[in-house]
Amino acid sequence: MVETKREEEIAESLKTKLENNLLDVRVQRRRRVFATVTPASLREAVGFVKDRFGMRHVSTVTGVDAGKEIAVYYHLMGKSEGDASEITLSLRANTPKTEPKLPTITHLIPGASFYEREVHDMFGVVFEGYPDLSPLVLPEGWPANVYPLRKECTVDYIKSEIGKTQGDSR
Amino acid sequence: MSETTFTVPVGPQHPALKEPENLMISVDGERVVDVKIRLGYVHRGGEKAFEARNYTQGLYLVERICGICAMAHQLCYANNIEALLGVTVPRRADYIRTIIAELERIHSHLLWVGVAGHEIGWDTLFMYTWRDREVVLDLMELATGNRVTHATNAIGGVRRDLTPEMISQISKGMRHLEERVKYYASMIPKERTIMKRAVGVGILKPQDAVALCAVGPTLRASGIKRDVRRDDPYSAYDEIPFEVVTHDGCDVAARVMVRVGELFESIKIANYALEHLPSGPVRVRVPINVPAGENVSLVEAPRGEDIHYCKSNGTDKPERYKVRAPTLANWASVATMLKGGYVADIPIALAAIDPCMSCTDRMTFTDVSSNKMWHWTIEDLRRHSAKWHGK
Repeated sequence: MVETKREEEIAESLKTKLENNLLDVRVQRRRRVFATVTPASLREAVGFVKDRFGMRHVSTVTGVDAGKEIAVYYHLMGKSEGDASEITLSLRANTPKTEPKLPTITHLIPGASFYEREVHDMFGVVFEGYPDLSPLVLPEGWPANVYPLRKECTVDYIKSEIGKTQGDSR
Repeated sequence: MSETTFTVPVGPQHPALKEPENLMISVDGERVVDVKIRLGYVHRGGEKAFEARNYTQGLYLVERICGICAMAHQLCYANNIEALLGVTVPRRADYIRTIIAELERIHSHLLWVGVAGHEIGWDTLFMYTWRDREVVLDLMELATGNRVTHATNAIGGVRRDLTPEMISQISKGMRHLEERVKYYASMIPKERTIMKRAVGVGILKPQDAVALCAVGPTLRASGIKRDVRRDDPYSAYDEIPFEVVTHDGCDVAARVMVRVGELFESIKIANYALEHLPSGPVRVRVPINVPAGENVSLVEAPRGEDIHYCKSNGTDKPERYKVRAPTLANWASVATMLKGGYVADIPIALAAIDPCMSCTDRMTFTDVSSNKMWHWTIEDLRRHSAKWHGK
């Protein structure tokens, strides 16, 4: 049996701290915890695990098209004093696809900056409080409201939208 | 922007290496005041492509993310899918993966030391290290069949076993490279050509490195002991003794020394794995369809932490596959390193994170005094650098 005591402790303390704002939490395997929180409690959750479990490192921010919603995962890593290994907590918050927005966590972890901008480019999620959401990876002249990694955004659709903005039928 | 700054665009062609990205650099005379980064010039839509391919095809797509750290990406991918399948890889395969991953780190770090030499105008070093790199590339070819894009992994193990002849050849190569690395380790700190250009250049303070979530040798050269191989061990790293090399210099010189130190450690790891190689099979067969679930996989690539996220849906294709290569994690730190430094030090400071644009993705200069803008390629910048430092 693989030891997952530290992982369970993170799950339990998230339950105690966030109460009803914690929608789901599970220890997936050794050193991996997944949790879903409400958008309103996202900052509180990030601040909490950062201070309590030394999770100062955000590895990346992943956007996932979950049908009517965009799921945004913050992969946070760290360890407490004396621990030999680090635990990765994938903290998820869902936001409606029609008007996707989440609070920025960059004032807590500045390293999340490029990742939030990438999710903004690819999924159209607005990170409230982030000073400059100008395109990071999408090219100049990219058509508005075309978010390449959303499921409904097919290659043909992207081609036709780019054709419209450039006035030709490529 | 005050009246005395000036914006100089550097790139998208050749900002430091032969790969595109754009940095808008605001300068006050020779001093860099601000840096704005623009990526995406080599964005190939890889993540979307994964969704249209089955897991086996993905295995070959993933190593094409990067020509240098093909093994790191593929290993990260294989670990990811194996975790979703609940498959345990044979121990011999874990050891072979570790050996190939460390050979790749040796090749990548030797390549980088050469590029660093080139950036400061000392091409002799470039030719030395690239000659030595040939040794490890030949070993890669021997072990995997290819110098680059090795296709070492299969989902469930490795594609090819190591024969006793291969093991003795790799050991022989490691002995040769260890002598070469000893030479670099004793020569570089005493060599003024390098030290004059590297000490105190591109400073990244430990607290900034942590806050900006830097990874790999860039982070460890700011004195922070973090390495996925130790902090979240995969393959055979939980059984192999090695040191996480750090340096307190926080500058380009420290990044050179960390990589040289890591070359020794990689040779040590490879030797240990070769000597302790368990017997047995190297691969288990796995089903085509992957049960619904999600997993996060981490690997210490030569440039630092590589993270992949996979969401499976029970079919033979992933619902979502996310890749964050180490270079993207270090871009935020680059802006901090360049600020306050000299224009002439941009190439080496930029090269010091060992950026890989294909994995991630120009420089523009603005003079704050006249608001004039111009573009420089790295060749222009390198020429300016050599001239300026030659004064």
